[in-house]
Amino acid sequence: MKATSYNLFMSALYGGRKGIRPPAGNPTSIACVELMKACGAFFPEAHLNARAMADLALAGHKLAGFDTVMPEYSVHQESAALGCEMDWGNETRMPDAKTAPHLDFSDVIVPESILEKPSLRVVLDALSILRREVGGQVAIIGKVMGPWTLAYHMAGTQNFLLQLGLGEKDKINRMLRQLMPVTIAFANAQFRAGADAVVLADHATGNLVGPYHYRDYLLPIHQEITARVGGPMILHVCGNCLDRLELFAESGVDAYHFEWQVDAKAAVEKIGDRISLIGNLNNPKTLFQGTPEDVYKQARYAIEAGVDIIGPECAVPLTTPLANLRAISAAVLDGY
Amino acid sequence: MHESVQRIKESIIEGRHKEIESLVREICKTEITLDTVIQEGLIAAMDVVGQKFGAGEIFVPEMMVSAMTMKLGLNIVKPLLTGKAGAPKGTVLMGTVKGDLHDIGKNIVIMMLEGAGFQVIDLGVDIDVEKVVAKVIKIRPQVLGLSALLTTTMPEMKRVIEELGAHGLRDRVKVMVGGAPVDAAFAEKIGADGYGKDAAQAMALARSFVGL
Repeated sequence: MKATSYNLFMSALYGGRKGIRPPAGNPTSIACVELMKACGAFFPEAHLNARAMADLALAGHKLAGFDTVMPEYSVHQESAALGCEMDWGNETRMPDAKTAPHLDFSDVIVPESILEKPSLRVVLDALSILRREVGGQVAIIGKVMGPWTLAYHMAGTQNFLLQLGLGEKDKINRMLRQLMPVTIAFANAQFRAGADAVVLADHATGNLVGPYHYRDYLLPIHQEITARVGGPMILHVCGNCLDRLELFAESGVDAYHFEWQVDAKAAVEKIGDRISLIGNLNNPKTLFQGTPEDVYKQARYAIEAGVDIIGPECAVPLTTPLANLRAISAAVLDGY
Repeated sequence: MHESVQRIKESIIEGRHKEIESLVREICKTEITLDTVIQEGLIAAMDVVGQKFGAGEIFVPEMMVSAMTMKLGLNIVKPLLTGKAGAPKGTVLMGTVKGDLHDIGKNIVIMMLEGAGFQVIDLGVDIDVEKVVAKVIKIRPQVLGLSALLTTTMPEMKRVIEELGAHGLRDRVKVMVGGAPVDAAFAEKIGADGYGKDAAQAMALARSFVGL
């Protein structure tokens, strides 16, 4: 196998042949202020302008040495298209939705033309730019929010969790089912636009909700999403999810992107070769506050534990030093 | 424990919010003291809820419903309390630091603290250091709870503690910190009095600060 970024990443994603080294990947976001300055594409423009979005993604490959490019940095592209009022933030602040339009769990009517809404169109256009410029050389990753995350945005996180606790099954399931087509349509559109793999970010977060919530509500929906999406998917769920890893493996995704809270060795031991694992460098302590040596050491631990693709555990803090991101690439260049 | 107090306790632990008010109304008509209802029923139930959460047996949705159930019960008992029995265990000022809009963790801590008998004043999210200091001067809480979910807003906790010191208030209020990126080492480094890993720990900390 030729040791291109694309080959190394895709082979690792499917648990296939090992090349000369593991790939470095970023299923969520490695956008940081230093990368923005280096490529001239800043937040909030990089959430709203396809060229800026693509440029910042390319900087992650060219300047930080990652084997992937991932042009979606916010968790609010879909919720903006579904009617949330947005504060798109700035170069040191991530976007945030100012409103939750379905606090009363009223029906979510998905517009037929949702893929043409500016906040979704921009992602599709950025993926097409990346396909034209680095397709086949670097792995292009797209990202969609799953129905659980979208429900947080539509009904308000606290309100959604309270209804869950109150056992309002019909209410919860109805909203998840109404939102699922958005996830499926956006994922398929991302593959058509040029993505090689798409992240399914769905925050049934460890410590927040239990494995039984995931099993009862979300697992059947994830199985339906993966069955109806025409390409490989990477599940991202925050928090300590060791207690639900096996459920994730049943969801139909090809990989799970996990956090530092789950020990890499324990994750590999539990999941075996059923799905690939991506992660799991600690963001707050190591990537944000640590040294490149600290990062290198943690990345080597993950490689030695058998994690397939090495990267940060989640979207990195925006003031993360670029030198620390480069230390991940340095660790993978040293091979297995 | 008296059977009806046990029923109240179980009702809260299991989040049976529809039945709690009638159970508490009934018990208030008996000779069981209100203090027993609160201590052995309502507060004891929330202790169990905190333990179950810490052990990973229940999660935030169930904890929220238990806290809501407890509050419904407490609202029946409160107007009946007179004198010292009606006084709060202490006052806690709670807020999410400047630049941070996350409030679920903070809100859950507030529910637990209220369940434990504290008067809690919620400053909300994205709070200025100056506002925190002004409120500490005005309200004179025993405890100040600061929350942050972002690595980028954690330093605001240190700023609050420094400003309290600059205003000569540091010895007058215990500061506890929490939130996903925060840990005990960070709390110690910035000079906080304690760190709560979760809502149950935050409640235990607040209790220890006021000598309960």
